Amino acid sequence: MSTTTGDLARIRTGAGWARWLRRNGWTAGVWVLLLVLVGWYASLIPVFGEFQIASIVKNSLPTAYLAVAQAVVIISGGLDLGVGAMMVLANSVSALYMEGQGLGVTLLIGIAVVLGAAALNAIIGWVIVTSRVPDIIVTLATLFVLSGVALMILPSPGGGTSGGFRWIFTGSTAGISANYVPSMVALGLPVAVVALWLRRTRPGLSIYALGSDENAAYLSGVNTRRAKVIAYAIGGAFASLAGLAITAITATGDSRFVNASNGTLNSVAAVVLGGIALTGGLGSVIGAVAAGIVLFILNPILTTMGINPNTAQVIRGALIVAVMMVAGLLELRRRRAE
Amino acid sequence: MTETQPLLAVRGVAKSYGSVVALRSVDLTVQPGEVHALLGANGAGKSTLVKILAGVVPADAGEVQIEGRRVSVRRPVDAMDAGIATVFQDPALIPDITLQENFRLTGVQIRRVQEWLDRMDLGGLDFDSVVGELPLPVLRLVDLARALAHDPGLLVLDEITAALPADQAEHVFGVMAEWRDRGNSVLFITHRLSEVLRTCDRATILRDGRDVAALVPGEGGEGRLVEAMLGEVAAAVVESRAEAAPRTSEGKVVLEARSLTSLDHLKGLSLKLRAGEILGLVALEGQGQDRLFDVLAGNRSFDGGVLQINGESVKPRSPFDLIRKGVVLIPSDRVHALLPQRSVRENLASALYNRIGRWFSLARDEEDRVQKAIDRLAIDTRAGRQARRLSGGNQQKVVVGRWLAAGFLTLLCFDPTRGIDIRTKEQIYELLRELADAGAAILYYTSELPEIPLICDRVLVMYDGVIVHEHEAATADEATLLSAAHGLDEATA
Repeated sequence: MSTTTGDLARIRTGAGWARWLRRNGWTAGVWVLLLVLVGWYASLIPVFGEFQIASIVKNSLPTAYLAVAQAVVIISGGLDLGVGAMMVLANSVSALYMEGQGLGVTLLIGIAVVLGAAALNAIIGWVIVTSRVPDIIVTLATLFVLSGVALMILPSPGGGTSGGFRWIFTGSTAGISANYVPSMVALGLPVAVVALWLRRTRPGLSIYALGSDENAAYLSGVNTRRAKVIAYAIGGAFASLAGLAITAITATGDSRFVNASNGTLNSVAAVVLGGIALTGGLGSVIGAVAAGIVLFILNPILTTMGINPNTAQVIRGALIVAVMMVAGLLELRRRRAE
Repeated sequence: MTETQPLLAVRGVAKSYGSVVALRSVDLTVQPGEVHALLGANGAGKSTLVKILAGVVPADAGEVQIEGRRVSVRRPVDAMDAGIATVFQDPALIPDITLQENFRLTGVQIRRVQEWLDRMDLGGLDFDSVVGELPLPVLRLVDLARALAHDPGLLVLDEITAALPADQAEHVFGVMAEWRDRGNSVLFITHRLSEVLRTCDRATILRDGRDVAALVPGEGGEGRLVEAMLGEVAAAVVESRAEAAPRTSEGKVVLEARSLTSLDHLKGLSLKLRAGEILGLVALEGQGQDRLFDVLAGNRSFDGGVLQINGESVKPRSPFDLIRKGVVLIPSDRVHALLPQRSVRENLASALYNRIGRWFSLARDEEDRVQKAIDRLAIDTRAGRQARRLSGGNQQKVVVGRWLAAGFLTLLCFDPTRGIDIRTKEQIYELLRELADAGAAILYYTSELPEIPLICDRVLVMYDGVIVHEHEAATADEATLLSAAHGLDEATA
């Protein structure tokens, strides 16, 4: 009995739930972790209802959007340290120009900000592929440059927006309510569109291909430079959504550098926690969204438990490492078993 | 033109990488409806020519014509538009996404890929499989099916059979013949001359970046092909290659495995490797030979049984544990074994880095050993600043040379000559023989049966996780080995 070609074809691919779990286990795991944390939070506070849900969804929007922004770029095999600064810039610009305007104008400004951010980040992506300067260096520079521009535009916190614009992201013209549906739509819709686009279309798959094996992608006829530029453009658009969400939630612009740097670091943390390989090509934006919310929800949980903010930082860091270690051990066991 | 218009005409194509000239000036004509072999030693320029045809690198000079029209292929997409589909030496399937997604990425019709896979006995392949989880031979055939689904006038196959076991290579030959019979053409690159004699209508031979001959392989046979590839002097060496007389070795046992088990890959495997011998190992694809070498090199642990080095039982936790005992691996994938971006010298010296305790004498000692290794191996160091720029054969010499520089007792060679030209193979055979004569013990797995009598003293056949057959290498004919490898005569072991 010899090994035929047909036998080889059936090796190890497995079937059914086991295979689904192997491929999507991490994404599913992060969502389970999120549900557990929400459940835990619910048990810690006296009342847990729609108002609390709305609060969690609304306030986690900036981290979740940033997580997606970073996820798309990292899946393409890149890295964008400038996402936090793009968020702050979008927040500053929108708050400055939206102040005193009605819904129509604020909406147009919002759209212009998203398109402008996409175009700006596309240029940054183009600089990276053309100059061949490593992405980590180019985007470290843009982190400072964009933050500086934001500070020039809006030197001190201020500005405002329309009630209608606030409703889009928060479910209330006052920015605070029990209506969680608009926030969920504002997060879910763009994420669903991007997640499907990445997995189902040729340009989307090109981004995965680029991060997975750049040489093979090139040999397959993928326009690798264009794919990279598109990934950065999408990253810019989502980073600006994070900025617009802050404008809607707080009704002010705040251009301090610490917001930019924290935003960038959280986005990287969310991507890692969300199961996306830093080397690119592996993982899903859906996982990154859950991880972004997880990182946010730790704050109210730890505050409710009466843990001081400095200790809370240590716990957040430790959690990320712990999750990575558990996942690493599971992966090792799986490989041993093969 | 009244005669048949050539499908592909390459005229005066040249290409240099920096100061290294890959192609000086090459002409190549492929007629419609023929299987055309492109042959040449390593570094002759075959891969570069393929890359130019496929639009991966631009030519410095010359032109490419398809059906008499000059075409400009600057990107892989242009080549596909011009009707050239290439199956590259490097896999072109994206590892982290499924087959289905790969097909969508290249915009190929999945139905047609399926048709070709059916024809190659791979109809049961699940397109929802992630590419990285599939074995390499399957991926080569999928690559081929995908290229065919583009319906190219010219199909270019760059060493597709190097990674394929014999039964799957047959599928490739079948498809090539069918493609020709439909009036299309195939440009076939291989190092296995027997394949050329069997399957190709004409052959163009490259040497040192030029086309030196275009001939019909059947007329004159292997000898003429080799002569054209190597020049006359080198061909004479090949003629006399079978003369190294293998001896019965009575050296002491340096490596012994007793009833090794490792999941379902090794099922109680035993073997003895003696100092001064080259022990061949033969197996069909997927009989546990990969795992055996992983275990012997300390890359994976084993579940049961005993592994003894120089009579002392070991349970290695990493390759380093065995390297310290003088057991080293030469894998078939040369790039994995090298530091591709470092220089040849650094690569050769890297095995010395662990010699703590010699910190102060290392520098001079190192220079010495490295230079000796370079001289002995005749490594072409023109592209020496980065090992990845070397040709495959030269890379493999560097891998061998590294252990040569470090000094070792036992060498595990896993298909070390895969994809290497005859001249370099000769040098590697000679080198291994010298090492064995000097007292080294060598375990030599090969996917090419004709190598066995050339280089080995004894040969073992592995089937389904155990050794099923042992034979004197000199008298081991291919038929005996093959039937044993198929598990047909376990009783005769």
